[in-house]
Amino acid sequence: MSTRALSLLFIAVAVLLPLATANTYLHHLLVLWMLYSLLALSLNIIIGYIGELSFGHAAFFGIGAYTTAILGMHFGVAGLFGLIAAAAIAGLFGFVIGYVSLRIEGPQFAILTLGFGSIIYTTTNYWVDLTRGPMGISNITPLGFGDLFAFTTALEYYYLSLCLVVGFGYACHALMQSRTGRSFIAVRENAPLAASLGINVFRTKLLGFVVATAVAGVAGAIFAPYLTVITPEVMSLHYMVAIIIMVIVGGRGTIAGPILGALIYVGILELLRATGPLRMVIFAALMTLSVIYLPGGLISLMKRVTGAGGGPGDAQPKTEAGK
Amino acid sequence: MDIETILLLQQIMNGLVNGMTYVLIATGLTLVFGVLHIINFAHGEFYMLGAFFTFFVSKLLGLDYITAGVLATVAVAALGILANRLFFWPLRKEHEFTLLLSSLGLALLLTNGGELVFGADPKYISSPFADSIVAMGPMILTQQRILIFAVGAVTLLLLYLFIKNTTMGKMMRATAQNPEGAALTGVDIRRVYTVTFVLACGLAALAGALVGPTAMIYPTVGSWAVLKGFIVVVLGGLGSVMGALIGGLTLGVVEALAGGYISLGFAQAIGFAIIIVVLLWRPNGLFGAARRV
Repeated sequence: MSTRALSLLFIAVAVLLPLATANTYLHHLLVLWMLYSLLALSLNIIIGYIGELSFGHAAFFGIGAYTTAILGMHFGVAGLFGLIAAAAIAGLFGFVIGYVSLRIEGPQFAILTLGFGSIIYTTTNYWVDLTRGPMGISNITPLGFGDLFAFTTALEYYYLSLCLVVGFGYACHALMQSRTGRSFIAVRENAPLAASLGINVFRTKLLGFVVATAVAGVAGAIFAPYLTVITPEVMSLHYMVAIIIMVIVGGRGTIAGPILGALIYVGILELLRATGPLRMVIFAALMTLSVIYLPGGLISLMKRVTGAGGGPGDAQPKTEAGK
Repeated sequence: MDIETILLLQQIMNGLVNGMTYVLIATGLTLVFGVLHIINFAHGEFYMLGAFFTFFVSKLLGLDYITAGVLATVAVAALGILANRLFFWPLRKEHEFTLLLSSLGLALLLTNGGELVFGADPKYISSPFADSIVAMGPMILTQQRILIFAVGAVTLLLLYLFIKNTTMGKMMRATAQNPEGAALTGVDIRRVYTVTFVLACGLAALAGALVGPTAMIYPTVGSWAVLKGFIVVVLGGLGSVMGALIGGLTLGVVEALAGGYISLGFAQAIGFAIIIVVLLWRPNGLFGAARRV
């Protein structure tokens, strides 16, 4: 099957999936899957396309979530306008942080983003006047178009986020066919060579970083009104690591990979719920095994079987890993 | 001396002792990065294991604190061999993200496994030195804190001599410069990996055994340790042992001063604020060599 047919099949299945069950808990899991997919797809731009590792991504997710929550609480501004505001503010933070930190690369960049992420997390925890600190903000106004329509059920949020995932997934696909997308890959594979070909490495990376952070903000802006509660925990180390796991276990540098990674993350943790205290131990073991045996992510397994896959191949940069 | 000066000196001394634990944690981290180019997210877990092994060895076998601490350090160092063989050595030719995720997996495994085996409730290692006080003029330190500083300093000196003078140390430095070149000249890379992990895990465990009696220990303490380690390592320069020493002591003192004069919450974030400023000024840290492309 071609990539196009597989994508259409995925969309068809995703549209029909929630209709197969009336169980609202399963609907809830589906919403989480879609929101994490959007988040993982956005981080994939940084990890998979520009080839840097960012630990700060959960912070932008949190910024988006807090933007809608605070706008709704203090100014009564809610609805889809909140999404745009969240994208703008998360993107603005992304621009400033990216502008400062993208001059540095590799492990130092990863730890620098860990630093920015932790500072944003700490600030959210201690700036009680604005964010209500560790208590979090509850009763967040649902998304909607003014008084006409409000998103209330899980199913509505699922379709909203599915639309965004499909739209953003297609945008990533289109990006990778474009000159800009190819310059991302050139920067990832060999930055000095890319620079010698006339690509402005810093601006290319910054563009990718800002887009990724803005989309993470959108994901957060849906997450907060969906759960109606938001606490600083969404920015904690736990979430920072979770998004990276989704992208790399799924398959970085592909479009299907992060979506699959998000499904695996939500699904496996749910399936392991029955194992009680062993849950995280088994999860960690499975994750480590998948990394050791499938370094290209789960999607590389599918490619091996079907000979097809989404996006550009994730060829390993030869100069990396300090070898 | 007036009370303000005494207070300041006391804060600085406390900071130096805390800094020495950061140095011990960070040295292992920087060694693994410098020699093997691995960012080891699981490093903090060996600190946690060091503390818990000390606790259980002294409790179950009824041994005294020092013997327990030494046994725990040796046991965790031996675990380093296993960790290397299962999680790092097989992936040495893979992309750095893969290695990083493998270490993250190990970290999750050890934290959650630790919670399961040791229990989630905080524990307290008893040490004969924890309650005895040494007064140096108007300043006061417990014997335990002096022990931390002294053992840390001696260990670092020994490590320095080891890397500088022994054949193994030279092999490690050769691998750090160019692994393929080193292998071509007959350096056994496999042994270098093993020894580096043994040293790194041992250092982390030693830090855990030393700090255990001054604070509560709990299975999630590893993520705290590894974050401190990262701050120090990036501050000093990834791969530089000297940088880890200066960076660790600096972080300890700055945190103590920020905690004493500004607020404790702020003290947690100040480390990250420092590295942001330092990295913008010197992208490779204070003592880091330029990153090879």
